[in-house]
Amino acid sequence: MDMMSKLTISASMLLTGFVIVFSVLVFLIFIIWLMGKIVTGAQNSITDRKKQKVKESLKKPEVKAEVEKPRTALKPVKSDTGVSDEVIAVISAAVYSMYGSKEKVRIKSINKSSSRSAWANAGVLKNTRPF
Amino acid sequence: MEIIERFLNAIQGIFTDSGLMTLGWQNYVMIGIACVLFYLAIKKEFEPLLLLPIAFGMLLVNLYPAITAAPDTTLMSAAECIKAKGTTDGYATTIINGVQYYNVPHYGGLFYYLYQGVKLGIYPPLIFLGVGAMTDFGPLIANPKSFILGAAAQIGIFITFIGAIFLGFTDAQAGAIGIIGGADGPTAIYVTTKLAPELLGSIAIAAYSYMALVPIIQPPIMRLLTTKKERAVVMEQLRPVSKLEKIIFPVVIVVVISILLPDAAPLVGMLMFGNLLKESGVCDRLSKTAQNELMNIITIFLGTTVGATATGANFLSLSTLKIIALGLIAFMMGSACGVLFGKVMYKATGGKVNPLIGSAGVSAVPMAARVSQRVGQEENPGNFLLMHAMGPNVAGVIGSAVAAGVLLNVLR
Repeated sequence: MDMMSKLTISASMLLTGFVIVFSVLVFLIFIIWLMGKIVTGAQNSITDRKKQKVKESLKKPEVKAEVEKPRTALKPVKSDTGVSDEVIAVISAAVYSMYGSKEKVRIKSINKSSSRSAWANAGVLKNTRPF
Repeated sequence: MEIIERFLNAIQGIFTDSGLMTLGWQNYVMIGIACVLFYLAIKKEFEPLLLLPIAFGMLLVNLYPAITAAPDTTLMSAAECIKAKGTTDGYATTIINGVQYYNVPHYGGLFYYLYQGVKLGIYPPLIFLGVGAMTDFGPLIANPKSFILGAAAQIGIFITFIGAIFLGFTDAQAGAIGIIGGADGPTAIYVTTKLAPELLGSIAIAAYSYMALVPIIQPPIMRLLTTKKERAVVMEQLRPVSKLEKIIFPVVIVVVISILLPDAAPLVGMLMFGNLLKESGVCDRLSKTAQNELMNIITIFLGTTVGATATGANFLSLSTLKIIALGLIAFMMGSACGVLFGKVMYKATGGKVNPLIGSAGVSAVPMAARVSQRVGQEENPGNFLLMHAMGPNVAGVIGSAVAAGVLLNVLR
């Protein structure tokens, strides 16, 4: 193989490889981005519809559930950092399961931790330490 | 007297057939190299799951070369056949110049049959099945831009191709050597068996050795090409990815790549099939088998038979030294290109992307991502880049399969 043909083969392979690999993977970026948009959009609309249904069913007057009223009115748990109702329910359930019904426990507020504690950091480090 | 004569003849026959008479100096050198690989695999734990079977295959073939012997047939006359086998029944016949001969088969060595899985391109896609069943593509789906870094790290393959051409290799051999830069063992083996099977031993050993050396090779390149400020960038948390997206992803990828680059379909197809088994959640048994039993069995077959291609006569040559040097260049170029594209993304996003995740674009899952994590934490101990680096890392697996498809299509 002479120098000219070596140069030709090298340049053509570099160009072909570079262009095709990048084109295919850039196309995949677009496809995956599109897939993410469609799936997330569809799932959000389903969730919204479900929430709407739940709201409508709560508004219906004919449903009369006989629920024993608590002896003292419970104040809603404060959450200044946008913790969702589901998360508050889960945390409350966890606290209840730890202390049981005999203990008098009141959750005053639930806030997102601004940064990890030293112990949490140590745990994450231990689990992600590579070598 | 006859007893002693027979005894001496037997001893002489055993001695003549023994390794002491049949092995050359190259075989003994290769036995030494196999012992070094044992040390690296067992003591240093360099990719032991593959390096140990490779080293053992290398040891065995250099002690007993007939273990890779191909089957053949001897033509015998009726008298010879009866003398050798006691009968002519059951043997196929061939008539040459009016004389009938019996085809007496000689079976091949154990590794000849096991090697068919490598030669026919069966094992690498099956390894990819297991890899797919073990891989979480969530970080890549959450941040599809990672594909850019997975593509950038493949540039090393094509740059090394040029180096190999100028060192005197044929274009097919140069393509097989370049794929070492993809840092993906099964892909390297798959491409080499198709393009340059004569170089399989050297390329496989170089590829797996460099993959094991990722924690040593990559960090100096990463530090050299990035500033302290860039290395300390803390990236935003990735968005959660739904199960539906994870199920659709493998199907979409296999459809797109198989249509655009059919040569990459066996590797990418099996990778995505394994991933679909995992993500579907309804094939738990199949997913576990692909991840464990099947993967382990194929790893043993692949490792030993690839190691068995490294006979003294094949391996101890100037070509091997060139391949080892070019493999290192390929690896370094791939890592460097990944980091440089990471820097481009850092600039383009106004400092939101840590360029260190670019080096994870060479496959070597998950080692390359762990290196990004480690180097990032050297600057900022509270920085956790692992999940961000997993995106380019798994994109690199797809990228190297795409690059393999290009090489096979152009050079075969």
